[in-house]
Amino acid sequence: MAETAEPQVIPDIEREEETRPKSGGEPGFLVIVWNDPVNFMDYVTHVFQVVFGWARKKAEFHMMQVHNQGKSVVARESMEKAEHYVHQLQKYSLHATMERDA
Amino acid sequence: MRFLGAQDGKFVFRLAKPEQQLLMAMLKLYPCIPPAHHQLTKSGKPRGDDPNQRLLDEALFEQRQENKKLIQAFVNDSERIVETEKGFRMILSATDLEWLLQVLNDVRVGNWVLLGSPEDGAPGVDVNEKTAPHIWALEVSGHFQIRLLEALRAGQTT
Repeated sequence: MAETAEPQVIPDIEREEETRPKSGGEPGFLVIVWNDPVNFMDYVTHVFQVVFGWARKKAEFHMMQVHNQGKSVVARESMEKAEHYVHQLQKYSLHATMERDA
Repeated sequence: MRFLGAQDGKFVFRLAKPEQQLLMAMLKLYPCIPPAHHQLTKSGKPRGDDPNQRLLDEALFEQRQENKKLIQAFVNDSERIVETEKGFRMILSATDLEWLLQVLNDVRVGNWVLLGSPEDGAPGVDVNEKTAPHIWALEVSGHFQIRLLEALRAGQTT
Protein backbone atom coordinates (compact mmCIF):
# COMPACT_ATOMS: atom_id res chain seq x y z
CA MET A 1 0.00 0.00 0.00
CA ALA A 2 1.13 3.54 -0.62
CA GLU A 3 1.94 5.24 2.65
CA THR A 4 0.22 8.39 3.82
CA ALA A 5 0.43 8.12 7.59
CA GLU A 6 1.63 5.76 10.27
CA PRO A 7 -1.38 4.84 12.38
CA GLN A 8 -1.32 3.50 15.88
CA VAL A 9 -2.12 -0.22 15.83
CA ILE A 10 -3.90 -2.09 18.55
CA PRO A 11 -4.64 -5.80 18.92
CA ASP A 12 -7.92 -6.74 17.32
CA ILE A 13 -9.35 -8.60 20.29
CA GLU A 14 -12.95 -8.57 19.11
CA ARG A 15 -12.21 -9.56 15.54
CA GLU A 16 -13.51 -13.13 15.70
CA GLU A 17 -16.86 -12.15 17.15
CA GLU A 18 -17.35 -9.11 14.98
CA THR A 19 -16.64 -10.86 11.70
CA ARG A 20 -19.35 -13.44 12.26
CA PRO A 21 -22.56 -12.83 10.33
CA LYS A 22 -25.40 -11.03 12.01
CA SER A 23 -28.02 -12.45 9.65
CA GLY A 24 -28.93 -15.92 8.40
CA GLY A 25 -26.90 -18.27 6.20
CA GLU A 26 -23.82 -20.38 6.83
CA PRO A 27 -20.69 -18.32 7.44
CA GLY A 28 -18.80 -20.45 4.95
CA PHE A 29 -17.02 -17.73 2.99
CA LEU A 30 -14.10 -15.49 3.76
CA VAL A 31 -13.79 -11.97 2.40
CA ILE A 32 -10.11 -11.21 1.85
CA VAL A 33 -8.46 -7.90 1.06
CA TRP A 34 -5.06 -8.14 -0.65
CA ASN A 35 -2.13 -5.76 -0.56
CA ASP A 36 -1.15 -3.58 -3.49
CA PRO A 37 1.30 -0.68 -3.75
CA VAL A 38 -1.19 1.83 -5.05
CA ASN A 39 -4.07 2.28 -2.60
CA PHE A 40 -3.20 4.76 0.15
CA MET A 41 -3.16 3.44 3.71
CA ASP A 42 -5.53 6.17 4.84
CA TYR A 43 -7.87 5.38 1.98
CA VAL A 44 -8.01 1.67 2.83
CA THR A 45 -8.71 2.54 6.47
CA HIS A 46 -11.48 4.87 5.39
CA VAL A 47 -13.05 2.26 3.09
CA PHE A 48 -13.08 -0.32 5.90
CA GLN A 49 -14.82 2.19 8.15
CA VAL A 50 -17.45 2.94 5.54
CA VAL A 51 -18.10 -0.60 4.28
CA PHE A 52 -18.03 -2.43 7.64
CA GLY A 53 -18.94 0.42 9.96
CA TRP A 54 -15.80 -0.22 12.01
CA ALA A 55 -14.20 2.20 14.44
CA ARG A 56 -11.01 3.78 13.10
CA LYS A 57 -8.68 1.68 15.28
CA LYS A 58 -10.16 -1.60 14.08
CA ALA A 59 -10.06 -0.40 10.47
CA GLU A 60 -6.40 0.58 10.95
CA PHE A 61 -5.60 -2.83 12.40
CA HIS A 62 -6.92 -4.63 9.31
CA MET A 63 -5.28 -2.08 7.00
CA MET A 64 -1.90 -2.76 8.69
CA GLN A 65 -2.50 -6.49 8.40
CA VAL A 66 -3.00 -6.07 4.65
CA HIS A 67 0.11 -3.88 4.47
CA ASN A 68 2.40 -6.10 6.54
CA GLN A 69 1.09 -9.61 5.84
CA GLY A 70 -0.14 -9.14 2.28
CA LYS A 71 -3.78 -9.80 3.09
CA SER A 72 -6.44 -9.62 5.76
CA VAL A 73 -9.59 -11.63 6.29
CA VAL A 74 -12.13 -8.90 6.89
CA ALA A 75 -15.30 -11.00 7.16
CA ARG A 76 -16.65 -14.53 7.49
CA GLU A 77 -20.07 -14.58 5.92
CA SER A 78 -22.70 -16.45 3.96
CA MET A 79 -22.04 -16.55 0.22
CA GLU A 80 -24.56 -13.82 -0.50
CA LYS A 81 -23.22 -11.47 2.15
CA ALA A 82 -19.61 -12.17 1.16
CA GLU A 83 -20.43 -11.27 -2.45
CA HIS A 84 -22.04 -8.08 -1.24
CA TYR A 85 -18.91 -7.08 0.68
CA VAL A 86 -16.58 -7.96 -2.21
CA HIS A 87 -18.70 -5.80 -4.47
CA GLN A 88 -18.64 -2.92 -2.02
CA LEU A 89 -14.85 -3.15 -1.61
CA GLN A 90 -14.30 -3.38 -5.37
CA LYS A 91 -16.50 -0.33 -5.88
CA TYR A 92 -13.76 1.47 -3.98
CA SER A 93 -11.13 -0.24 -6.20
CA LEU A 94 -9.67 -2.34 -3.41
CA HIS A 95 -8.31 -5.77 -4.31
CA ALA A 96 -10.87 -7.97 -2.58
CA THR A 97 -11.92 -11.56 -3.20
CA MET A 98 -13.97 -14.24 -1.48
CA GLU A 99 -12.91 -17.80 -0.79
CA ARG A 100 -14.63 -20.79 0.76
CA ASP A 101 -13.64 -21.16 4.41
CA ALA A 102 -11.64 -24.41 4.59
CA MET B 1 -6.17 22.40 -3.33
CA ARG B 2 -6.65 23.50 0.24
CA PHE B 3 -9.30 22.38 2.71
CA LEU B 4 -10.86 25.50 4.23
CA GLY B 5 -13.18 23.80 6.69
CA ALA B 6 -16.48 22.01 7.21
CA GLN B 7 -19.66 24.07 7.47
CA ASP B 8 -23.21 22.75 7.88
CA GLY B 9 -22.13 19.28 6.79
CA LYS B 10 -20.34 20.63 3.70
CA PHE B 11 -16.62 20.39 3.02
CA VAL B 12 -15.20 23.56 1.50
CA PHE B 13 -11.98 23.61 -0.56
CA ARG B 14 -10.09 26.33 -2.38
CA LEU B 15 -8.52 25.47 -5.72
CA ALA B 16 -6.19 27.54 -7.85
CA LYS B 17 -7.24 27.69 -11.49
CA PRO B 18 -4.62 25.16 -12.67
CA GLU B 19 -5.76 22.79 -9.91
CA GLN B 20 -9.37 23.04 -11.02
CA GLN B 21 -8.26 22.23 -14.57
CA LEU B 22 -6.28 19.25 -13.29
CA LEU B 23 -9.23 17.97 -11.29
CA MET B 24 -11.49 18.23 -14.34
CA ALA B 25 -8.85 16.41 -16.40
CA MET B 26 -8.80 13.58 -13.86
CA LEU B 27 -12.58 13.25 -13.91
CA LYS B 28 -12.60 13.11 -17.72
CA LEU B 29 -10.26 10.09 -17.57
CA TYR B 30 -12.81 8.02 -15.64
CA PRO B 31 -13.22 5.03 -15.87
CA CYS B 32 -9.64 3.72 -16.01
CA ILE B 33 -9.79 0.29 -14.37
CA PRO B 34 -10.17 -2.37 -17.08
CA PRO B 35 -13.48 -4.27 -16.58
CA ALA B 36 -11.66 -7.62 -16.36
CA HIS B 37 -9.50 -6.42 -13.46
CA HIS B 38 -11.96 -7.21 -10.69
CA GLN B 39 -12.23 -10.90 -9.81
CA LEU B 40 -14.69 -12.37 -7.34
CA THR B 41 -12.29 -15.17 -6.38
CA LYS B 42 -8.63 -16.05 -6.84
CA SER B 43 -9.53 -19.54 -8.06
CA GLY B 44 -9.06 -18.58 -11.71
CA LYS B 45 -12.40 -20.00 -12.86
CA PRO B 46 -13.10 -18.88 -16.46
CA ARG B 47 -14.90 -15.58 -16.27
CA GLY B 48 -17.90 -16.46 -18.45
CA ASP B 49 -18.54 -19.73 -16.58
CA ASP B 50 -19.24 -18.12 -13.24
CA PRO B 51 -22.71 -16.56 -12.86
CA ASN B 52 -21.64 -14.76 -9.69
CA GLN B 53 -18.71 -13.19 -11.51
CA ARG B 54 -21.10 -12.09 -14.27
CA LEU B 55 -23.36 -10.47 -11.67
CA LEU B 56 -20.38 -8.61 -10.20
CA ASP B 57 -19.29 -7.47 -13.66
CA GLU B 58 -22.81 -6.21 -14.41
CA ALA B 59 -23.03 -4.36 -11.11
CA LEU B 60 -19.66 -2.69 -11.69
CA PHE B 61 -20.65 -1.80 -15.27
CA GLU B 62 -23.84 -0.12 -14.02
CA GLN B 63 -21.86 1.73 -11.38
CA ARG B 64 -19.43 3.04 -14.00
CA GLN B 65 -22.32 4.25 -16.18
CA GLU B 66 -23.90 6.00 -13.21
CA ASN B 67 -20.58 7.59 -12.22
CA LYS B 68 -20.09 8.93 -15.75
CA LYS B 69 -23.47 10.69 -15.49
CA LEU B 70 -22.60 12.03 -12.05
CA ILE B 71 -19.26 13.36 -13.33
CA GLN B 72 -21.04 15.19 -16.13
CA ALA B 73 -23.42 16.75 -13.61
CA PHE B 74 -20.56 17.57 -11.23
CA VAL B 75 -18.38 19.41 -13.73
CA ASN B 76 -21.35 21.53 -14.85
CA ASP B 77 -22.60 22.30 -11.35
CA SER B 78 -21.92 25.96 -10.63
CA GLU B 79 -23.08 25.55 -7.02
CA ARG B 80 -20.50 22.93 -6.14
CA ILE B 81 -17.61 24.51 -8.03
CA VAL B 82 -17.82 28.27 -7.74
CA GLU B 83 -15.40 30.55 -9.56
CA THR B 84 -13.90 33.27 -7.36
CA GLU B 85 -11.40 36.07 -7.94
CA LYS B 86 -8.48 33.88 -6.93
CA GLY B 87 -9.58 30.58 -8.42
CA PHE B 88 -12.39 28.23 -7.41
CA ARG B 89 -14.24 27.22 -4.31
CA MET B 90 -15.43 23.61 -4.25
CA ILE B 91 -18.27 22.77 -1.85
CA LEU B 92 -18.89 19.07 -1.27
CA SER B 93 -21.43 17.21 0.80
CA ALA B 94 -20.17 14.12 2.63
CA THR B 95 -21.79 12.03 -0.13
CA ASP B 96 -20.05 14.06 -2.85
CA LEU B 97 -16.72 13.67 -1.10
CA GLU B 98 -17.16 9.92 -0.76
CA TRP B 99 -18.09 9.61 -4.42
CA LEU B 100 -15.20 11.81 -5.57
CA LEU B 101 -12.76 9.66 -3.58
CA GLN B 102 -14.07 6.54 -5.33
CA VAL B 103 -13.82 8.10 -8.78
CA LEU B 104 -10.30 9.44 -8.21
CA ASN B 105 -9.17 6.09 -6.85
CA ASP B 106 -10.45 4.40 -9.99
CA VAL B 107 -8.24 6.76 -11.98
CA ARG B 108 -5.26 6.09 -9.70
CA VAL B 109 -5.61 2.30 -9.57
CA GLY B 110 -6.62 2.10 -13.24
CA ASN B 111 -3.47 3.87 -14.37
CA TRP B 112 -1.38 1.66 -12.14
CA VAL B 113 -2.99 -1.38 -13.82
CA LEU B 114 -2.34 0.19 -17.24
CA LEU B 115 1.34 0.52 -16.25
CA GLY B 116 1.40 -3.26 -15.76
CA SER B 117 0.65 -3.26 -12.00
CA PRO B 118 4.29 -2.58 -10.98
CA GLU B 119 5.03 -3.97 -7.53
CA ASP B 120 6.89 -0.84 -6.46
CA GLY B 121 4.17 1.49 -7.74
CA ALA B 122 4.97 4.40 -10.04
CA PRO B 123 8.52 5.07 -8.68
CA GLY B 124 9.71 1.77 -10.14
CA VAL B 125 8.55 2.56 -13.68
CA ASP B 126 10.77 3.94 -16.46
CA VAL B 127 9.38 7.23 -17.68
CA ASN B 128 8.85 7.32 -21.43
CA GLU B 129 6.20 8.48 -23.91
CA LYS B 130 4.05 5.46 -23.20
CA THR B 131 4.22 5.44 -19.41
CA ALA B 132 4.33 9.20 -18.68
CA PRO B 133 0.57 9.86 -19.10
CA HIS B 134 -0.27 7.00 -16.73
CA ILE B 135 2.31 8.06 -14.13
CA TRP B 136 1.00 11.61 -14.36
CA ALA B 137 -2.63 10.53 -13.88
CA LEU B 138 -1.69 8.19 -11.01
CA GLU B 139 0.18 10.94 -9.16
CA VAL B 140 -2.28 13.77 -9.81
CA SER B 141 -5.34 11.73 -8.82
CA GLY B 142 -3.42 10.65 -5.71
CA HIS B 143 -2.70 14.27 -4.83
CA PHE B 144 -6.41 15.10 -4.83
CA GLN B 145 -7.23 11.95 -2.89
CA ILE B 146 -4.79 12.90 -0.14
CA ARG B 147 -6.43 16.32 0.19
CA LEU B 148 -9.89 14.75 0.42
CA LEU B 149 -8.71 12.21 3.00
CA GLU B 150 -7.14 14.99 5.07
CA ALA B 151 -10.45 16.83 5.01
CA LEU B 152 -12.30 13.70 6.10
CA ARG B 153 -9.91 13.22 9.01
CA ALA B 154 -10.23 16.85 10.01
CA GLY B 155 -14.01 16.49 9.86
CA GLN B 156 -13.88 13.43 12.12
CA THR B 157 -11.79 15.15 14.77
CA THR B 158 -13.80 18.37 14.93
